[in-house]
Amino acid sequence: MIAVSDITKSYGAGGNRNQVLKGISLQISDRDFTVILGASGSGKSTFLNVISGLERPDSGSVTYGSREITKLSDSELTQFRKDNIGFIFQQYYLLPNMTVEKNVRMGADLADNREYGKIITAVGLEDKSRKYPSELSGGEQQRVSVARALAKKPKVLFLDEPTGALDEQTGRQVLDYICKLHKEYGFTIVMVTHNQNIAEMANTVVKMNSGKISEVSANEKQKTAYEIGW
Amino acid sequence: MVVGMKDALKLIGISVIACCAIFVCTLFLNYNIDIAAMENEITASGVVTMYNAIVSTGKVVAAVSGGCLAVTSVIMLLFYVKNYIDTHGKELGILKALGYSNFKIAKHFWIFGLSVFVGCALGYAAAFLYLPLFYELQNAEHLFPEIKVQFHLSLAFLLVVVPAISFAVLAVIYACFRLKTPVLDLLKEKHEYKAKLSKNETKDLPFLKELTRSTVMSRKSLVFFIAFSAFCFSAMVQMSMSIKDLSSETMAIMILTIGLILAFVTLFLSLSSVVKGNTKTIAMMRVFGYKHSDCSKAVLGGYRPFSYIGFVIGTIYQYVLLRIMVSIVFADVENVPEYNFDFTACVITLGLFVFTYEIAMYAYSRRIKKLPIKSIMLE
Repeated sequence: MIAVSDITKSYGAGGNRNQVLKGISLQISDRDFTVILGASGSGKSTFLNVISGLERPDSGSVTYGSREITKLSDSELTQFRKDNIGFIFQQYYLLPNMTVEKNVRMGADLADNREYGKIITAVGLEDKSRKYPSELSGGEQQRVSVARALAKKPKVLFLDEPTGALDEQTGRQVLDYICKLHKEYGFTIVMVTHNQNIAEMANTVVKMNSGKISEVSANEKQKTAYEIGW
Repeated sequence: MVVGMKDALKLIGISVIACCAIFVCTLFLNYNIDIAAMENEITASGVVTMYNAIVSTGKVVAAVSGGCLAVTSVIMLLFYVKNYIDTHGKELGILKALGYSNFKIAKHFWIFGLSVFVGCALGYAAAFLYLPLFYELQNAEHLFPEIKVQFHLSLAFLLVVVPAISFAVLAVIYACFRLKTPVLDLLKEKHEYKAKLSKNETKDLPFLKELTRSTVMSRKSLVFFIAFSAFCFSAMVQMSMSIKDLSSETMAIMILTIGLILAFVTLFLSLSSVVKGNTKTIAMMRVFGYKHSDCSKAVLGGYRPFSYIGFVIGTIYQYVLLRIMVSIVFADVENVPEYNFDFTACVITLGLFVFTYEIAMYAYSRRIKKLPIKSIMLE
């Protein structure tokens, strides 16, 4: 269980101070698929960064189980991310001078996961494991980033607009892979998106507006990546 | 403007190397020209031998130091041009897409010649100020008639204008060559990490070891500069300790100063480039939970063996150079002390090198620690 309590976060100083998160509280259950939905500038990415431990809030707390990560030191937070968190970003951020296999090993080695080859196969890239990111299409690169994140066996997977740079068909394909792996491995998913259709795939939908949560709803029936609109 | 004055200023490394090279060359070549004017007045056989030895020394030092530093400057220039094109791929790609020819874009790179001009001009001016003292030292025993420092326009032209023009032309030609990259590859800032790497790639190599290997392999010019930095430190510090008996203390201080400037400037520029070029990798590793010590070790650690190779080559170079000077150039000169490998100087220099190198690595490791974890997300 992730418990977020009264989080605030501002950027800038003096007259230019901009409060991005205005006292957010939320609870995310284990193995849940939560989508954080909001327009550009609503604070959803900042919220993701704060609850994943990439950024510290100005006030409030983020607790995983009984562990409050907002009180951890930098090195403890690094260790926490190593043990618990996986990330997938819109821009992939693959290491350009490493092959697909080595990019996946970046995550796998942290968890001492020798069976990372299975994940490469699961995302359909077994025949491209010796290729470099520049030799892959956008969808393939995002699948590498999915494999890299999952190879470290995270308990929680954070995704920031994972289909933002992909076309419809590739986007659906990547989401489908993520959902299948979610069912297989049983991790918690927290995904940020501005695409309302993707929200239909989640258990829980959190709508954000101007740094606040405006609505939290549950989907009774989750759609697959190929059933949603785009 | 494609490349601005601000970009040219970043080539401070080339300016420093050019300054040192021209300083040394000006001292010895100006002295050689001035002393040659008095050749007819030098008749005593012992003095003639000394004269020949000094002229040969000047030629050897100017050729070896000047040549060595010129090659380094060329490599550094090519590195900067390539790096500029790699990091400004989007802007350059847009210009090409709009219809600008490679040459039209590349010709702006002439401005990189300015940094060479600044370095050469400073080196020449500094040497000229130092020349009166240098002439006195060279003729400390008053074997030759008194020589006055003369200004030689042709030498100034050769040592200041010619290098600046040559480097400007070289920068344009090389930029033109690098800009042949297809527009889309420039726009996507797609670098060639090439199949070259995959040939040697070991499947079972852990990620951190592979990262160390690929960091070193992907920017080989930085390997050269880091080795060169160690080479300068090793050669010049040992030479300054050994040359005191063969020449003067002032000469030793001059060699030491030049060596340390070259070594530190090259090392700091290289390490800065390594860290800057790997910012995204480091940030991503920390996002994933790699400790900062792992990041530093993986990114900086691969260069350590090359720096020690540079040190060894520097040790051999200074020994061979001094040996040549003593056995060939000063062969006929009387009372030249015997020169043997200075083991004590080598050990002291190695100790100093290990200490300073590790301090520099520690400083850059701290810099890596301070890199914001969000730096990859701020694009």
